[in-house]
Amino acid sequence: MRGRFEFLRPRSVEEAQELKARTEGAKYLAGGTDLIVRMKERKESPAALVSLRRIAELSGVRADGFVRVGSATPIADCIGDPALSSRFPVLVQAMASMGSVQIRNVATVGGNLCTASPCADTAPPLLVLGARLAVRRPGGQEDEIPLEEFFLGPRQTRLGPHDLVTGVVLDPPAPNARAIFFKKRRVAMDLALASVAVLLELDGATCVKARVAVGSVAPTPRRLESVERLLTGQEMKRDLLLAAANLARESVAPICDLRAGEEYRRHITGVFVRRALETLLGQARP
Amino acid sequence: MKHPLAFTLNGSPVLGEVEGSKLLLEVLRDHFHLTGTKEGCGKGECGACTVLVDGRPVNSCLFPALEAEGREVTTIEGLPRGTELSAVQQAFVEQGGIQCGFCSPGMILSVQALLDRNPTPSESDIRDALVGNICRCTGYVQIVEAVHAAAGLRRGER
Repeated sequence: MRGRFEFLRPRSVEEAQELKARTEGAKYLAGGTDLIVRMKERKESPAALVSLRRIAELSGVRADGFVRVGSATPIADCIGDPALSSRFPVLVQAMASMGSVQIRNVATVGGNLCTASPCADTAPPLLVLGARLAVRRPGGQEDEIPLEEFFLGPRQTRLGPHDLVTGVVLDPPAPNARAIFFKKRRVAMDLALASVAVLLELDGATCVKARVAVGSVAPTPRRLESVERLLTGQEMKRDLLLAAANLARESVAPICDLRAGEEYRRHITGVFVRRALETLLGQARP
Repeated sequence: MKHPLAFTLNGSPVLGEVEGSKLLLEVLRDHFHLTGTKEGCGKGECGACTVLVDGRPVNSCLFPALEAEGREVTTIEGLPRGTELSAVQQAFVEQGGIQCGFCSPGMILSVQALLDRNPTPSESDIRDALVGNICRCTGYVQIVEAVHAAAGLRRGER
């Protein structure tokens, strides 16, 4: 690589935060599949990279009452984790659709979220699951930020300069909750043109709880609360599903770029919401 | 600033001194002169730079060299035993899975990792495993055939 930078390999979160605070222009490095590409494209030129790969606390999945995924856990390790795949199949489904084997072996869940791309594939499923981010402040205090409050804009988050996301925390899933993820792309390695995750809790044919989240169709991944409100407490009839799909189409704010037009992204969002609801209802029927 | 770097390269322990800004691809090619690993896009999309780190395929063009500390790195040069090709290499030669050859080292290492994990892959397992390896010559048909053949060779079928 042409730009020169220092490479720092701390062993603990405290050391990482201290190194980063002490080194002007330093950035945290997780898997690097986004940051290193941006550095090669001269979009970023950090003076130093503080690698998070050797910090044991940041790697792996812990499951007791709730599940905590270390922020520097590679996507491939999350996919292979039995607790995640049995309790949160929608997350594993989205992760399995990301990039390539090579990318999934190094890219991390924390990196995917902290990059804060509108098309981050882990975000819609984690939003419908109500995930929280464990954040270590420079003084050592640990806070939790609900994921739905985390993204401020493309590549912008609520993190302070030296804050470090240490993990993603998930409550145990409700026994009757089902969720699904859809993503549109042209070929396998593409970024999503539009993605939708939907979670439903049903009591018979009545929707007790609905969560709908989208990616690539707004400045950040986000929930569609209006669609959730429309569904909650209602009987899941065909007209309601169509109304939810229409409302989803109208609720997003996609850009038009060389990968897809605005109208197309809107259309796909509606189709995915309808298809997700139909699929989840189909699975719920005995 | 240079840092010491110790790792296992194709089964042998190696020691180097590298700048913190070096990528694994650069160290393999320029320091260890293992030029089988290719640089294509440089962005993690084409897979020509694929090597195995602890048995898992990674894009060496995006992998900081110092992250290889203590790990086992396998390049295409590590597959043959002496002058005898590995089963995957042999199958690629026999099935016409190689034309210009630029993608072959990365492609073959991805296949190696697939078969180590799954000795009897379906066509869709094969295509999923090779999503990150682009070939502009073969149209992939012979490559998929080569993977089936390699799986057979490794099971001792001929």
